Amino acid sequence: MDRRHFLKFSAAGGALLTGCAPFQVKDTKAHVVVIGGGFGGATAAKTLRLLDANLKITLIEPKTQYVTCPGSNWLFAGITNLTQLSVDYRTLQVQYDIDLVTQSVATIERNIRQIRLTNGDSIGYDRLILSPGITFKWDAIAGYSAEIAAIFPHAWQAGLQTRILAQQLQAMPQGGVVLIVAPPDPYRCPPGPYERASMMACWIKQHNPRAKILILDSKRSFSKQRLFEAGWRANYGYGTANSLIEWHSLADNSINELHKASKTVISEFGDRFTGDVLNIIPAQMAANLAMHAGLTNPHGWCDINPLTSQSVEDDCIHVIGDAAQFTPMPKSAFAANSQAKACAMAVFNLIHQQPMSEPHWINTCYSLIAPEQGISVVGVYRLDDEKRRIIAVEGAGGVSHAFEEQISRSEAGYARSVYQNLIKNSFG
Amino acid sequence: MRWLLMWLLMTAQPVHAEFNPQSVVMNCLICHDSEKNSSSGEVPDLAGLTSAELHQALLDFKYDRRFATLMPRIAKGYSDAEIQAVADWLSQ
Repeated sequence: MDRRHFLKFSAAGGALLTGCAPFQVKDTKAHVVVIGGGFGGATAAKTLRLLDANLKITLIEPKTQYVTCPGSNWLFAGITNLTQLSVDYRTLQVQYDIDLVTQSVATIERNIRQIRLTNGDSIGYDRLILSPGITFKWDAIAGYSAEIAAIFPHAWQAGLQTRILAQQLQAMPQGGVVLIVAPPDPYRCPPGPYERASMMACWIKQHNPRAKILILDSKRSFSKQRLFEAGWRANYGYGTANSLIEWHSLADNSINELHKASKTVISEFGDRFTGDVLNIIPAQMAANLAMHAGLTNPHGWCDINPLTSQSVEDDCIHVIGDAAQFTPMPKSAFAANSQAKACAMAVFNLIHQQPMSEPHWINTCYSLIAPEQGISVVGVYRLDDEKRRIIAVEGAGGVSHAFEEQISRSEAGYARSVYQNLIKNSFG
Repeated sequence: MRWLLMWLLMTAQPVHAEFNPQSVVMNCLICHDSEKNSSSGEVPDLAGLTSAELHQALLDFKYDRRFATLMPRIAKGYSDAEIQAVADWLSQ
């Protein structure tokens, strides 16, 4: 770009940037605070450091270890464990000079650009990157709650609940029934419930072959459905009387009640389903912190300007990951990593008053049908011509060519390999 | 009201954003290691590849001249000029 163009872009950029003038005088370090140490937050902090050696970067995350949701379904087939799924923040601290604050956030005081921690401390910011993840709409299913989830785990934030659910599956009586209540759109990891059913079926096929997994779905269709169903037919007798997996679409008749004593879930029209193991995955929204800070829309998600990932409510706050609406991108760890990078570039350009570069995003989600059989979905995303909306690039993306032996074996290998690199790329 | 204001603001000022290959390349590195990677051995690392090699591979994926489970679906998302710029950046 020549200087004339550079100045033109700078001037245009400058006009858009005025809402969030830096507190610091020139030549002192700008301070970027990142809230949330999942894939979005970790990647944002790391990428910012790679772009700018001088910024002060703080990452606030209450946990010292993070159990990744990607890969956590593999635990049900007995091919991973929580230790293998755990990451920490040491590399980000030591190699990338990120200040780690192991505390919970109480409030975001937007008017004075300050974060109040639950221990009473406060941290000021020039720009805040919020990657807080999700919470659950507990009131969507009467009788279900955060406390009851310790008994009937959602296991949709990986960790102890994932292990409890796996133990329940393994302890299930012969010929028992697992109920997976799948959530309405939009939610974290669209293929997740179906990969989970696959991994559970893989386990019961070996250890409890008369058992059955019922997916009770509030949707009419689901991610990679054709591939999942082909894989289930090939492995688990799907479509026959002895199928290990049954998928029931309860569109317009969603599960809205749990009767815990009888381990029964009940739909709007009164259909009852009783199981031995109940995996209830409720409807979701952005984490409470985002709502309390006034950054959510009536559906509970954070609207953003996709060029910069700035909240439409606050120019100084960028929101990424599952909490943010990057429609049509799905909510996934891969997508959060991709969003974090585009966000970090925007934050860098805003702080240095440089012209914006066009953001580019990719999402890839692998799912395992069986330990050696994988399928994938890909999306390539960019801004539309007006630079206001995210579009999936036409002709690109899509699902695996077919559920075919050689391809699915390759994709199972890639699933594991991509998982490892995604961790390395996000956390150091 | 807020949306109306945003709309007015955004339609009043054209939004400029230049293509920057770095913003694509950062996504390549989610799956592909940029360093020599002898351990995992599934997804190829991108270390040591020349711009010409990368350019050819990406075009072959885009135009279905080379089979791969996933890359053809990604390469179709970019123009030939963007692919050239990405290959140049990756090989640096």
